Formats: sequence, C-alpha cells, structure tokens
Amino acid sequence: MKRGVIRAVLGLAILAMYGWFLVAAEVSAFRFLRGLPWMADFVRRMVPPDLSVLGSAVTGALQTLQIAVIGTTVAAILALPLGFLSARNVVSAPIFYPARVLLNLFRSVDTMVYALFFVAAVGLGPFPGVLAVVTYTAMTLAKLYSEAIEGIDPGPVEAIAATGASRLQVLRFGMLPQVLPLFASYVLYRLESNIRAATILGFVGAGGIGFYIQTYLRMVNYPAASAVLLVLVLMVMGVDFTSSRLRARIV
Amino acid sequence: MIQIRGLRKVFPPDKIALDGVDLEIAPGEFVMIIGQSGAGKTTLLRCLNRLVEPTAGEVMLNGSRVTGASPDTLRALRRQMGVIFQQFNLVKRVSVLENVLAGRLGHVPALPSIVGRFPHRDREAALACLRQVGLEELADRRADTLSGGEQQRVAIARALAQEPKVILADEPTASLDPKLTESIMGILQRINVERGLTLVVSQHMLETALNYGTRIVGLRQGRVIFDGPPAGVTPGTVENIYQGGVR
Repeated sequence: MKRGVIRAVLGLAILAMYGWFLVAAEVSAFRFLRGLPWMADFVRRMVPPDLSVLGSAVTGALQTLQIAVIGTTVAAILALPLGFLSARNVVSAPIFYPARVLLNLFRSVDTMVYALFFVAAVGLGPFPGVLAVVTYTAMTLAKLYSEAIEGIDPGPVEAIAATGASRLQVLRFGMLPQVLPLFASYVLYRLESNIRAATILGFVGAGGIGFYIQTYLRMVNYPAASAVLLVLVLMVMGVDFTSSRLRARIV
Repeated sequence: MIQIRGLRKVFPPDKIALDGVDLEIAPGEFVMIIGQSGAGKTTLLRCLNRLVEPTAGEVMLNGSRVTGASPDTLRALRRQMGVIFQQFNLVKRVSVLENVLAGRLGHVPALPSIVGRFPHRDREAALACLRQVGLEELADRRADTLSGGEQQRVAIARALAQEPKVILADEPTASLDPKLTESIMGILQRINVERGLTLVVSQHMLETALNYGTRIVGLRQGRVIFDGPPAGVTPGTVENIYQGGVR
C-alpha cells in the first residue's frame, strides 16, 4: 500500500518533468509537420551534387583525416602516463583521486569547445584542430586506460614484482602486456569518433572538411554542399570499416 | 639461509594467519610446509619475500633483514628468492621466452629492458633455464597456449632465471593432476639436489610432502606444531596437524 503510493508519486513527478522539458524545448509536432516541405525542398536542391567541387572536398576530407590521425596518436601516447596515474592498483589514493578529478574536469568539455579556445590562442587552421582533438581524446583515453588497468589479473603482476623487478619494470612486463590489446582497440575506436568530431572543427575555423560544408551552405550552393557531404560519408565509412576490421583482429 | 623469528600476521580486522612462527632453514634443505587450508601455509611463504607485509617478527635471508628493508634492498633480496605460484601467474599474452626473461629483470640494465631489449647473455640464460625444464622448443609460443603442466614448468624456468638462492613454491601442484604433480615435484627435487638450491614448498597432499621433502613443517592455526624429518611424522602427528581430517 505504502509502496504503491510512493510509486504513484514518483511516476507523476517523472511525467511532470518530461512535460516541463517538452514545453521548455518548444517541441511541437505542428512546427515539424509545417517544416516537412522545406526539408524536402532542401534535399531536392541538393541533387544532383555538383561534382566540380570534388577537388576541394577531397582536400578538406584529407585534412580532416590528418587532424584526426595526428590528434589521436599524440593523445594515445599522452594518455599512457595519465592512465597509469589514475589507476588505483598502480598509485596510492593521494595521487589517483586528484588525477581522476582532473580527467573528469577536462573530459566534461567537448572537442568543439577546445577548438574555439585553441583557435583564439594559436589562430585559424588545422593546428588548433589537432590541439583540440589531443586535449579531449587524451583525457577520454586516460579514463578508459585506467579502467582497463584496474581490471587486470593481479597474479602475473605479483609474479614480476617477486623477481625483484623495479616498479617501472613491473608496469612494463606485468601490466602492459595485459592491457595493450585493449588500449589499441580503444585508440582505434577513438579514431573513428575523432574523424566525425573533426568534420565539424571547420565550422569554428579549426580546419578540415567542415569549412567547405559551412561555406557552401552559407553561399546557398546546395549541390556543392551535397558533393562535399558525399565525400565525407565515403571517408567516414572507409575509416570505420578499416578500423573495425583492425579492432576485430586485435581482441 | 632463512631465519624466521616471531613472525605474526594479522589480517584486518582480527584474522590471525600467523601466530608467532620461528624457523631456521639451512642451505640445501627441501622444506615441505603442510597443514589444513587456512593453517597459514600461503601467508608464511608470502611473508618471506613480503608479498604480504608481516604484522610483527623478523625474516632474515643470508644475514640480511627482509622485514623492514628499504624498497631497493627488498628488490635485491627478492632477486635471490624465486617464487612459484599455484596459478602459475605467467603473463598470458606474451611468449614463453619473454616470460622466462622476466626472471632476468633484476639483473639486466633497467632502461633497455623497458623497451624490451635484453643482453644476448641474458637471452641465452633464459633459454638454458627453459632447456632445464624441457621446454626449449616452445620458447616462441604464446604462454596461454600451453597446458597447465607446461605453464608451471615455464614458471619454474622463470624462477631459475633469477639465479636465486631459494625457491618458494606455494602449492605448485594444487592445480594439476597426480601425474603432473609427480613431474613438477620431480623437477623441483632435481633443482634441490643438482643445484643445491634451498626449497620451501607448501603442499596440501601429505603423501607428496613426505615423498619429496627433507624436512616437514606442520602448521596449525598459524603455529608450527611439527618440525622434523619425514620419517618422524607419525599417525599421531598427522592427526594433530589435520585435526582428524586427513586430506
């Protein structure tokens, strides 16, 4: 009886919350339906794609790929010490708690926000894009690394320590072999996400294919924009395919 | 070789694993530690190289204090004590040879070892240890592709690669069938006889302990209640150690 009352109140509260959020977000079926013809018009004006801009589209896509690959690689390396320093079975509480807090702080800000920051700091172009990818990805990977490290089998680690190996040697020979395949898989997964993240870096002037998408949309040159989107989709699919094949082989 | 005085270990909050152990182990002895599960066999072995930190008491190895030693000194002392575990504890994803090379870590230059470079001499030493346990031809195989008995032999080779003075083995055959038990114990016996290494081995199988040990130490509730040659173990002693229930 009493539990029933609590459930009813809780249910009503959740319903009320959704009602409030829907109103606050101005969600409207009417507006959506009224917008449908405009969407159709938008899509219609995008075909056929203007293939004459293919050259710049490919250049942009290549730059996006370069930003993502360099950014992810540097982040993968920087995340190694960070990951070990925030694993509770490697360092003691006074080190890993602050390390964890720091990681969570930096992780709560997305790549795009870092891009705005770095464009302001070092100027326009792909370089601030790389810096943005490195910052966010290093923090995310460090978090994933540390969780992988905490899940390892302590037996071999103890066995290596028992040989009289130094702490660094224990990390290298007892822990690293256990987590390396997982690390590689996480890095590839992040690379896939970063390709997508890097496509919109161009919107804030941080290089890559996003610049062309934004420019053509602003110029109301929809056929050109759709050609660029086409190249983008092909690149993302290509990277996803290669990366997932690689990941399947690692683990 | 090993002196143990007043060794106590209390696991928080109040589980007394070792309750004042005194032992003197001479070079070349093959000491078998027997007792029921929970008698303190594992804790005793793990306190000897401080994989478990003793609560009180003293452990000496060749006149050097293990208890209270600084991290550097402890590493140097651990180098002299090879350890064999019940669960083998090999690093599964790397090769057999790399597992044995881990036994050389205390001897090789630290920095090159981190990038995986070992002096040629140490590779040869590791291979020689593999040869001793009859697994040289498996050197390049991944450790987790080996059978349990083979893995334990690799673990013995890893311990030998340390060039230790003492080998500590915690229930080395508890995960293996009787035939493999004989093979592993045979290898340990050979090491003891041919190399003159001191062995301290915990063994829950009484018969195996009596067959291979030169000295039997019986533990009950964290105390030594028997210490003598295998021939001195009477049915009464056995009764006392296992409190009625022989395994």
